[in-house]
Amino acid sequence: MSVLAVTRLELRRLFVRPLAWVLAALTVAQLAGRFMLLVQIFTTHQIQWAAQPAGPGYTDIVGVPMLSSILTSGGALPMLPFGLAELALLVIPLLTMSTLASERSHGTLPLWFAMGQSPFDMVMGKFLALLVWLTIWLLLTLAMPLSLAHGMTLDWGKLAAASLGLLLMLSALCAIGIACSAYASHPAIAAAASLMLGLALVSLNVGALMAGIDNGFINWLAMSTHLDSLVRGLISSADIVWFLLVTAVALILATQRLGAERGRG
Amino acid sequence: MTAPTAVLQLDHITRHRAGRPAVADLSLTLDAGQVLGLLGVNGAGKSTTLAMIAGALIPDSGAIKLNGKDFLEHPELARRGLGWLPERAPLWPELTVLEHLDAHGRLRGLSGAALAKARQHMVERLELGALSRRLAGVLSQGQRQRLGLACALLHEPSLLVLDEPANALDPVQVAALRGVIREQAAKGTAIILSTHLLAEVTAACDRVAILHEGQLRYDGPITNDDHKMLEQTFFDIAMRGAQAA
Repeated sequence: MSVLAVTRLELRRLFVRPLAWVLAALTVAQLAGRFMLLVQIFTTHQIQWAAQPAGPGYTDIVGVPMLSSILTSGGALPMLPFGLAELALLVIPLLTMSTLASERSHGTLPLWFAMGQSPFDMVMGKFLALLVWLTIWLLLTLAMPLSLAHGMTLDWGKLAAASLGLLLMLSALCAIGIACSAYASHPAIAAAASLMLGLALVSLNVGALMAGIDNGFINWLAMSTHLDSLVRGLISSADIVWFLLVTAVALILATQRLGAERGRG
Repeated sequence: MTAPTAVLQLDHITRHRAGRPAVADLSLTLDAGQVLGLLGVNGAGKSTTLAMIAGALIPDSGAIKLNGKDFLEHPELARRGLGWLPERAPLWPELTVLEHLDAHGRLRGLSGAALAKARQHMVERLELGALSRRLAGVLSQGQRQRLGLACALLHEPSLLVLDEPANALDPVQVAALRGVIREQAAKGTAIILSTHLLAEVTAACDRVAILHEGQLRYDGPITNDDHKMLEQTFFDIAMRGAQAA
């Protein structure tokens, strides 16, 4: 009940702030541009790919690359504007930077405690509100390839797996952003820390991959390893657990930080 | 016949800040309908005491009981039974006055018709009607204090904690604030009011506690005619403390 009250308030605050709308408008416009380019590539090579026995289809060329292509080894597409996963690395730090850091700067953090809200209620309520925004963002992105689904043969399973992967990635990055906001004294510091942590997580294994190591611990640590499997349509419980673990650890750290702040004053 | 339970009970609470005791072994009780003025020079420990009573800070030792229950163990008591207005009203600048009242009501467990009624009552009582759709970020300091007070009173708490509430208010607003305090006390709300203005205490409170260097140095009843006595007591305590330092 208390978590939902916090979520409701945070959603209201999120939707009245211009930042969320500006980010949504700019990124959806950019994704629409990407969609047009992908459709153009698909229509140009459609006949050629159809002649190949295992040639890529609409889902491989338009559907999944709308979500991610640069971070994953998804296909032999030319360099295009960012997909959702790449944009998320930039957008989520901006969206989460003020969740707790601005409460501190506005002097409203003690008010939450005085209203009997526990650090867990606060962190979870804010996380759920941001997750609602991010889910809407993901659905808007998916609506583009789905708008042509009636005339195409869509691999629903593959698209669902990729969408699940993206949702888990958004959730993990969101939790990391909230944790950074809990520790930072200023929203800009939280955004910078969250961006760096996100980039580090996705590029952790670049060196190992260049050296030809593709199954070491470093690869397990990297977010791109787990996202790649899901984007390829392979749903593995190990990948899902990895994302849930990162999300849970980040949220626990944020909760502990708030609890310590209340104790320390 | 059993004695009524005190609304607020502080049992030997201590809180250190920067390695020194900001509040040391403080004990006091407050009954329903009482208005306690908490006096002290800057740095005496008033705001720290009030932040602990409000649940915004945890004491290093001791217990705080609201209506007989330890409210650190029962945070739901704070949600429904306590209203707090710190020195600078904490507001979210992107929300309007009405959205603030709605949010505070929901976080305090109000909903539906009860919330709408409480919100309307506060808008009328604190004359927020003309400001209702204005963003908190553009309110003047006095308007912010009124909104903060409305948020603190919305759920009809049994304990109201006010930290320097008259700061930034003009004389008319100060008189209105005193009216709200008296009206609330008459309804049975226990009120603790921190200030450094002696006139504020004699005008609005029926009991006074003087803190100095984190310790309770005086606790007794007060009336409107006790201004001279209060002034003498306050300066004695403050000067004695300064000489000892």
